[in-house]
Amino acid sequence: MNFLENIRIALRGLRSNKLRSVLTMLGIIIGVGAVIIMVSIGQGAKASVAGQIQGLGSNLLIVTPGQSNTAGVKGGMGSLNNMTMDDVNAIKSSADAVASVAPTTSKQAQVVYGSENTSTQVVGTTPSYADVRNQQASIGRFFTDQENQDNAQVAVIGTTVVQDLTGNPNTNMVGQTININQVPFQVIGILQSKGSSGASNNDDQIVVPISSAETRLIGSDSIRTIYVEAKSSDLMDTASGEITQILRQQHGLSFNATNDFTVTSQTDILSTAEGVSQSLTLLLSGVAAISLLVGGIGIMNIMLVSVTERTREIGIRKAIGAKRKTIMLQFLIEAVIISMLGGVLGILFGSGGSSLLNKFAGITTQISTSPIIMAFAFSFAIGIIFGVFPARKAAKLHPIDALRYE
Amino acid sequence: MIILKDILKIYKTGDVELRALSGINLKIEDGEFVAIMGPSGSGKSTMMNILGCLDTVTSGEYLLDDLNINHAREDELAEIRNQKIGFVFQSFNLLSRTTALENVELPMLYNGIGARERRIRATNALTAVGLSSRLHHKPNELSGGQQQRVAIARSLVNNPVILMADEPTGNLDSKSSIEVMNIFQQLNTLGITIVLVTHEPDIAQYSKRIIHFKDGSIDRDEIVKNRSIAEGEPLNLNINWRSEVAS
Repeated sequence: MNFLENIRIALRGLRSNKLRSVLTMLGIIIGVGAVIIMVSIGQGAKASVAGQIQGLGSNLLIVTPGQSNTAGVKGGMGSLNNMTMDDVNAIKSSADAVASVAPTTSKQAQVVYGSENTSTQVVGTTPSYADVRNQQASIGRFFTDQENQDNAQVAVIGTTVVQDLTGNPNTNMVGQTININQVPFQVIGILQSKGSSGASNNDDQIVVPISSAETRLIGSDSIRTIYVEAKSSDLMDTASGEITQILRQQHGLSFNATNDFTVTSQTDILSTAEGVSQSLTLLLSGVAAISLLVGGIGIMNIMLVSVTERTREIGIRKAIGAKRKTIMLQFLIEAVIISMLGGVLGILFGSGGSSLLNKFAGITTQISTSPIIMAFAFSFAIGIIFGVFPARKAAKLHPIDALRYE
Repeated sequence: MIILKDILKIYKTGDVELRALSGINLKIEDGEFVAIMGPSGSGKSTMMNILGCLDTVTSGEYLLDDLNINHAREDELAEIRNQKIGFVFQSFNLLSRTTALENVELPMLYNGIGARERRIRATNALTAVGLSSRLHHKPNELSGGQQQRVAIARSLVNNPVILMADEPTGNLDSKSSIEVMNIFQQLNTLGITIVLVTHEPDIAQYSKRIIHFKDGSIDRDEIVKNRSIAEGEPLNLNINWRSEVAS
């Protein structure tokens, strides 16, 4: 008897007991569906984190001050105020692997425009910030080196700020004057919207020349963060080494003193994030394995019931010439069809669910082929594994006993 | 031809041994129509199972068409049942939720016959027993007599050497019983060997030879005198239901 015939018989068996077949499949459907949804959420999170980190700029190194230590009381990372414009210039002139450098200082400030006001982050920096941090002006322009030297009162503002001040993120505010901590600044550009990344909103900021920020807003010339762009991704480590060397020299650190600053590279952040999402995936795989196992046991249960129920049918088939192998194959194929059909429905349910989550719950999800193929293969394997025992039981039935069974 | 030599069949349940058949010697020639009779527990059903290759003997020798059945393994028995033996049961034993046509196709399914030929042969067999208008009915849509005729059609499609009927009229009214016996008599006329197990003397009377069983052995073996002839529709043999390919 050929394979197709077996499939036809199995399908008929399943059709004649629709509700039960569907309920049996439900275990697999939910298992596979859950796996697909969870993996898509995991991968979505991974992709969006990676995207955000890439969005910081390319080949980016971030230099932050170290811990302050006042009479033994340690402050948080970055609490030292030991980085200056001299450090920045030293990096700019001496580090060969560095393409450009953008020092920043920042402060939370009150911004007033007409009768509206808002509180936002004001970042003081140099024009190279636009390239290093990949923050271009979508309308208007970024400020120039000349404006930076001149302490010019110009500002490039994020779309969230525009929204807060005018009620519409698309308002063209170029040419308008805003007051930052009561100091008037002229808006010369609107930052390209980058969206929010978790807690921090890249659009909720105002970028001004660092000289103006230091003199007019903050009143100190210490630098919070230096963003450095390496010449290429291969030179990230070299650049990091050069910067460490230069800053140690600049800060007069002795040979065995620890660094009073930190150099973090984009790849460090990326690999941390990947580590997190990897353990997440592992956890999800565990949950998936358990739910599929439960689904498989459900299939075995129903197949055993089915074998008992159809003892007479098996007897008839055997009496008129079905061999062990044929009966075995019939029930095995039935189990595999249940689990694979469940797998396919689970994949549909999972993909549908994850795109619904994406649309309506605002969760970033990403469906890729590998979990779908895995789920499919898994459900096939489950059908085989949990179908073999009931199928063997059916195949072993003695025709006379089976025919007599009421 | 069937030859049984010193057939012994013992069932063991725990410590209890039940001698279902003790020393049966029997010869059934091709073309015979034999009825096996006896009270319940006489061993006639066991005899039927052994003749039908559904069960194996404890000792003795069973030759079916010069084929020694004794040492056949389970799958070999299945093959013999499939190709040489047709079964008709008291409770019809059709697959429910399956049409008459598909029920009749079933033996050919296990025989590796292609779908087209299966369909043709099954249709012809059903037509022969007068069910050409019931091809796509399911068993629960057919009367008892019709169901039994489907079973007969199923038993015939693989051109068996011998047709085993185990109380084929047990669940039928007298009219349908006569119809079924009529079909058997016609098939016998065509040369098919028929072994019929029954406890009804008037049904046995349609056969040519009656073997009486008692306590696991043959009590009496007689030729039927005044054989009954069942009235009924002649088999529809305009198309040859035994042809390999009827095209």
